[in-house]
Amino acid sequence: MTRNVVWLAALWLLAAAIVPARPALALTETEVAEGLLCYACPGEPLTADRCRGGDQMRAAIRRMIAEGKTKQEILDYFVQEFGEEILTYPPKRGFNLVAYVGPFVGLLVGAAVAAVVVRRWSSAGRRRSEPRGSGSPPTRLDEKTRRRIEEELSHLDEEA
Amino acid sequence: MVTFGNLSQFGALAFSLLAMVLLVAGVVRNDLRWIRAGKRSLVAVAVLATGASVALGYLFLTDAFQVEYVASYSDRALPVFYKATAFWAGQKGSLLFWAWVLSLFSALVVHNNRREPDSRATPYVYLVLAGTLAFFLFLLCAVTNPFETLGFVPRDGQGLNPMLQNPGMVFHPPTLFLGYIGFTIPFAYAVAAMVTGTTDASWIRKTRAWNVLSWIFLTVGIILGGQWAYVELGWGGYWAWDPVENASFIPWLTSTAFIHTAIIQERRGIMKVWNMSLILLTFVLCIFGTYLVRSGVLQSVHDFGATGLGGYFLAFIVITLLGGIYLIAESYGELKTPGALESYLSRESTFLFNNVILLALAFATFFGTVFPLISEAVTGNKVTVGPPFFNQVNTPLFLVLLLITGVCPLIGWRKASPVNLRRNFLRPAVAALVGGAILLALGVGEPYALLAFTLAGFVAATIVQEFVTAVGSRRKLTGESSLTAGFRVLWRMRRRYGGHLVHFGLVLIVVGITGSSAYKLETQATLSRGESLKIGRYELKYEDFKTYQKFNRTVYAAVLGVYNDGDRIGQLEAERRYYVNARQPTTEVALRSTLVEDLYVTMPGIGRTGEITLKVAVNPLLIWIWIGGGVMVLGGILAIVPSRKRRRAS
Repeated sequence: MTRNVVWLAALWLLAAAIVPARPALALTETEVAEGLLCYACPGEPLTADRCRGGDQMRAAIRRMIAEGKTKQEILDYFVQEFGEEILTYPPKRGFNLVAYVGPFVGLLVGAAVAAVVVRRWSSAGRRRSEPRGSGSPPTRLDEKTRRRIEEELSHLDEEA
Repeated sequence: MVTFGNLSQFGALAFSLLAMVLLVAGVVRNDLRWIRAGKRSLVAVAVLATGASVALGYLFLTDAFQVEYVASYSDRALPVFYKATAFWAGQKGSLLFWAWVLSLFSALVVHNNRREPDSRATPYVYLVLAGTLAFFLFLLCAVTNPFETLGFVPRDGQGLNPMLQNPGMVFHPPTLFLGYIGFTIPFAYAVAAMVTGTTDASWIRKTRAWNVLSWIFLTVGIILGGQWAYVELGWGGYWAWDPVENASFIPWLTSTAFIHTAIIQERRGIMKVWNMSLILLTFVLCIFGTYLVRSGVLQSVHDFGATGLGGYFLAFIVITLLGGIYLIAESYGELKTPGALESYLSRESTFLFNNVILLALAFATFFGTVFPLISEAVTGNKVTVGPPFFNQVNTPLFLVLLLITGVCPLIGWRKASPVNLRRNFLRPAVAALVGGAILLALGVGEPYALLAFTLAGFVAATIVQEFVTAVGSRRKLTGESSLTAGFRVLWRMRRRYGGHLVHFGLVLIVVGITGSSAYKLETQATLSRGESLKIGRYELKYEDFKTYQKFNRTVYAAVLGVYNDGDRIGQLEAERRYYVNARQPTTEVALRSTLVEDLYVTMPGIGRTGEITLKVAVNPLLIWIWIGGGVMVLGGILAIVPSRKRRRAS
């Protein structure tokens, strides 16, 4: 049955890749504005800004959306006009890459450390749970009893 | 009243310092009498800080504009409700609020421990509390005194920023602060445990309610902040990855991690070093958040006036951090536990991985928030790090977290057997995959949105399956009706189901965020009376224009008829408000919220000839963010209602 789920998941992923996605929704002003600061108010995100300069920028965005320009083209236009300082995100190059890559490196290091810890602990755990002497072999439980014990344990879990 | 406030404040500082001296003396001399005197001094701090707070509240209510702080944040025309809550509108009042609430919490800790014989650890708990109180009271008395007078009485105050005159803004800062402040208590217990070498799980058990309660307040604070931004700022969003928002979100992430691994220490006695580190980190981040709110270090919409507090806060943070690290290193031998896990496939190890993701998210958010400073220091370039960056970096991390949220609670302790895995995950996985496939067929093609909905479905299905099985077993055993059995299961296993409910709330929030960000519609138009605009299935008709005075503002309102397929389904009023004492008008959002979608209207412009400019958005599923937040809070509350057994025991 587990194998079936894996098959289902694989099929589903395949379907997701093949079935053409519904045409993307029209680009919105907010989507573009989120990437920009107001040129007239230093440091103010365009989405939060309500000044006349911001109005001009928003109007330009709407005009370019109506002309069928993509988000990147509109952002590029503003970068050309005002420089990269107009963007609300660091362009992906040079030292800025540190910002983009850093968190994922952190995640990988964290996950690796956690994996090592779990491995060390689990081998320690196994060593401990190994039988020491030649006592009587563990009693085998029948499937039904084992299921019942597991079920009851799972309900007890947090209540202890 | 100014003198009374000042005296109370200085008195509170004096007693907090006295408490420290008495407690240190008590510990050094090993004399209980000194320690008791120290405890009483802590209670005196609470009484005096309450006096100072009452004084400030009174000064606001009586328009005492000779006080600089009152004159800066209030005026005569301000409604009484906002006058009272202008208390925490600025930095000075916020800090007094901090000190006051912490003093009350400290007194509560003293009260809760009244029956317990003073253990070796409690004087240190009080000492940390007294030290933190002394820091805040010192700032209030010496650096940024809320009772400072102007030397003359202005005719009127400068008024409260109109954006802050909103119920959400009234409750958002104090709830967030309650969360920040609350984490001082578990931190104090952790320090005491390390100093005295009592590093078993007793400090975690004692502070569990504080942890979860502080986490609940932090959650409520964050959700209210989002709600305020949504209905007040008028740009159609609820979260802008603003430095101050991030500063509240980061301790939320680390405290969430802590709450999870605390369970492991409670049950298995492992991960002690980790838990100490997490609570230290959470406390320091809470102080950092308090500092960042109005520091001006990072550009933020929350900077309503910066002062020179940075150095003091930085010193406090560095001392706490170094002291904490020293203590952890010093007691490492005792904290280190021979880890014993039987398998990768166990709840313990999945909890560890959930911590890794939560901390990666916290790190990513922190890193992005301070990156402008790093970039400027390294390259000399000033960059802005806003929503596009955070969305790009954090979204994949969130999706992994969501997956783990489904796996963690249902995987067995120690070692999950194949039976356990199959029983708990097979059906939810099938349900989620089928659900995802249906969504795909319906045209949900955005990869992130599809993945988010599918994973949300998986988590929801694991929770529902667990609940239905539990109710079924109970019914079989007791013969109760489904409803009774359902309630009893929830109530009897409230700690477990409280946790599940929190996760379910998260699922709802994910649904809301995904729907409203991936499938938002937006348009802008200028209309004359009688004209209409179309968006999605709605048509908005500009029907009337009204002008009227209300409280401290003049309101210009456009009355809009809302139509769906030609049927009039409602009416909205988009407003522009001109507040007394405010330089710029504000836009007031008109909102029609349903379970399916929000119709969100603002009026950025009114023309001279009566035409209006409307900005309209349809935000699908957005309301589920607020409902999910509510469910999360309910779950948190359910999880900390003490059991009868425990109440009797205490």
